[in-house]
Amino acid sequence: MSQIQERGSTHVYHVNRISKEEIDTMTSRCVYEQPAYCNAACPLKLDTKAMLKAAAEGDFKKALAIYEKATPFPLILSMGCEAPCEKKCRLCEKGDGIAIRDIETALAKYGEQTKSGGVFRMKKKKTVAIFGSGLFPLFLAGELEKKAYPVTVFCEEENIDGFLRSAAPFLGEEAFAAELKRLKGMDIAFEFGCGITPEFFEERRTGIDVLCASEAAAKRIFPGAVCSGDIMAYEPEKLIMGGGSGVMAAAFGAKKAALTADRLAQKLDPRNTRGEEGACDTRLYTDLSAAEKLKRVPNDSGYTKEQAIEEAGRCIQCHCDECMKSCAFLKHYKKYPGLLSREIYNNTQIIMGDHQLNKPMNACSLCGQCTVVCPNGFDMAHVCHIARQNMVSTDKMPLAPHEFALMDMLFSNGEAYLCRKQPGFEQCHYVFFPGCQAAAIAPATVRAAYEDLCARLDGGVALMLGCCGAICDWAGRFEMHDKVKDFMDAELAKLGDPVVIAGCPTCKRELGANTKAELTGIWDVLSEIGLPEGAKGLDRPAAMHDSCGARGDEHTQQTVRAIAEKLGCTLVETEYSGDRSPCCGYGGLTAYANREVAHEMTEKCLERSDAPYISYCMACRDRFAREGRESRHILELVYGTDAGSPPDISEKRYNRLSLKNELLRDIWGEEVEKVELGYKLEFTDEALKMMDERMILKSDVIAVMDSERETGEAIEDADTGYIMARKRSGNVTFWVAYTETDGGYLVHRAYSHRMNVVRRN
Amino acid sequence: MQDRTYYVIDPQGKLKCRKCGVNLVRGKAKFMYLDNGFPVELPVCPVCGFVYVPEELALGKVLSVEKALEDK
Repeated sequence: MSQIQERGSTHVYHVNRISKEEIDTMTSRCVYEQPAYCNAACPLKLDTKAMLKAAAEGDFKKALAIYEKATPFPLILSMGCEAPCEKKCRLCEKGDGIAIRDIETALAKYGEQTKSGGVFRMKKKKTVAIFGSGLFPLFLAGELEKKAYPVTVFCEEENIDGFLRSAAPFLGEEAFAAELKRLKGMDIAFEFGCGITPEFFEERRTGIDVLCASEAAAKRIFPGAVCSGDIMAYEPEKLIMGGGSGVMAAAFGAKKAALTADRLAQKLDPRNTRGEEGACDTRLYTDLSAAEKLKRVPNDSGYTKEQAIEEAGRCIQCHCDECMKSCAFLKHYKKYPGLLSREIYNNTQIIMGDHQLNKPMNACSLCGQCTVVCPNGFDMAHVCHIARQNMVSTDKMPLAPHEFALMDMLFSNGEAYLCRKQPGFEQCHYVFFPGCQAAAIAPATVRAAYEDLCARLDGGVALMLGCCGAICDWAGRFEMHDKVKDFMDAELAKLGDPVVIAGCPTCKRELGANTKAELTGIWDVLSEIGLPEGAKGLDRPAAMHDSCGARGDEHTQQTVRAIAEKLGCTLVETEYSGDRSPCCGYGGLTAYANREVAHEMTEKCLERSDAPYISYCMACRDRFAREGRESRHILELVYGTDAGSPPDISEKRYNRLSLKNELLRDIWGEEVEKVELGYKLEFTDEALKMMDERMILKSDVIAVMDSERETGEAIEDADTGYIMARKRSGNVTFWVAYTETDGGYLVHRAYSHRMNVVRRN
Repeated sequence: MQDRTYYVIDPQGKLKCRKCGVNLVRGKAKFMYLDNGFPVELPVCPVCGFVYVPEELALGKVLSVEKALEDK
């Protein structure tokens, strides 16, 4: 068998297989980071979702602190705000939206106010003056004080009570007292009883860096002054101004004005780098099915603390985790696809040191489930697949995660490969392509299916035992994949380009995409010609597991179900079936690159039902059986050939080879000479288990033993009594610990390492 | 520059080369992987130069260094 070249650090050529723009478009499809509907609706950018979460947890201090970030005067805002957030609350679609404003009032009432920086807070050097009174000057003074500007307010009122009262006359006594306390606690200077005239303004503006005024005051100072709403300023005089009606308009205006003040203080254009202001759109998706508490907590005279907690507790904390719910891979890495894709892209494109994302990118099963369950069709498989190709093309992809699978493919299309026309036919109308896993796991089923097709189909049925190329495609080895494509095309041409009857949905898809052949599935043929004699289903209800190779192919999914029902099976429906089916853990070579994640994927499949599983992909059948679940491939039921307990990695190779040899002997009359070892080779149970776990084949052990017999190179360990021999095959050194038996060897242990070890002087 | 050795295993007279019939001794060896080399001292046959990599080393330190280099 040929060998696969390990990467070499000197041979670096760069073919970028995905552009930054493509990855940007892709990551923007993930809505995980999109703001919640209530957050997006708030012009003040209040993080309503986080505030409600803290409130629901009873942490009013934290909740109020979040609210205070949006406004310096929480009670005034909560009483006068028009609450656009409440209108956008998604619960409105099923019942009552959250009473956000009432909760905010309760927070302002019962929450502990966050202390400001105190005397140690550094004040800015630039000074601000605000002329006039009303809501806008009040909010603006608060915003600028938060930004640590020394602020002086010039107003006509005689005292601070009057200033607050004229700004918010709607406040009740209790609320007024609370907000007055808050205002007095702020580091703002006042000059009361000022007659605001152009002369007064001219007199007081000296030495002030930023000038602000209420709309009325501005018009008195500069008759005809007009406010540019985007920056809240009368531009010719660089006078910040604002007013308008309503609490929300004043609060939002003050926020914009405070930003303009920042720009002017730094002598910058107030229109530059302002970021996104005001309410925005959100593309968030959220699943409302779990929303239960749909009735508002009644509010007679303001919420008590307990009522506010209860009402906030109704919030479903809108977020999108559709993919995380269904995909074991994303769940394992606890990262939503937008972020994970970005990190994986950087892993190949930017990172020069450790590539920490190699493992995640090789752990995706490339099954495409996320694309179906994501409301925006995010394609994580595409990102991981392209990233693997990128790693290969830049010679950064280590061979270790995929070498075993790639060598297995070379075995399938080399030593175990078979391509023959049906005896007696010059041209064949069909060729049966069962797939490498079917021959490895259920050889008797493959043989029965081929013999049945030969007997019942007209025009001759050829047979091709090999790998469709999915393995190297999954590994990102695109050059190898091109070779398999050419090979398949040439082999099909030799048979006269027959119709391919695929035994595996992944092979069907792969060959359909990469060869010129006309494709059909064996399930389609069987539903047309009928089931063979003796075909029998399971006598108890079973769950149908859809293969990821058949995602988006409803016809195949339904045809297999119809066959199962014809066989007499009672199928139980499971969550995540059809197009939403998860991968068994074999897809994308996860089973080779990351056993832990592959195991979690299999468990995810099996948690859907306690019933036996029927599948139409042999890899799924194998992985479920390995987890101890009764698992059958639909063809095992059709042909009454129970493949039994799952084979180990060596048996999988042996099965393919002996199927080929038996068919050659029995159908084509070609006797294959058996290669005798010339010695007896036995394994302890522990050794067999160890070899399966460590991906060491019996043929690897044979190579070590052959080498030892030829060179005599081995050592004896006095402690264990074992003899240790080794052989480097390809990129791996295999070690075998054995004892000698009568006419052969008993293998006790086997292990391997990829590093090459040599003597040095 | 002083010769640095990353790992040392002494055979302590318990390992014998079957080909040469002599005990393995502590000797100089080098692990090579992906264009990196690591000098070590392992049990080596003083006659034929057979270098022994014990299972604990192969599945422990060697494996972890392999993984680290693969992700470089």
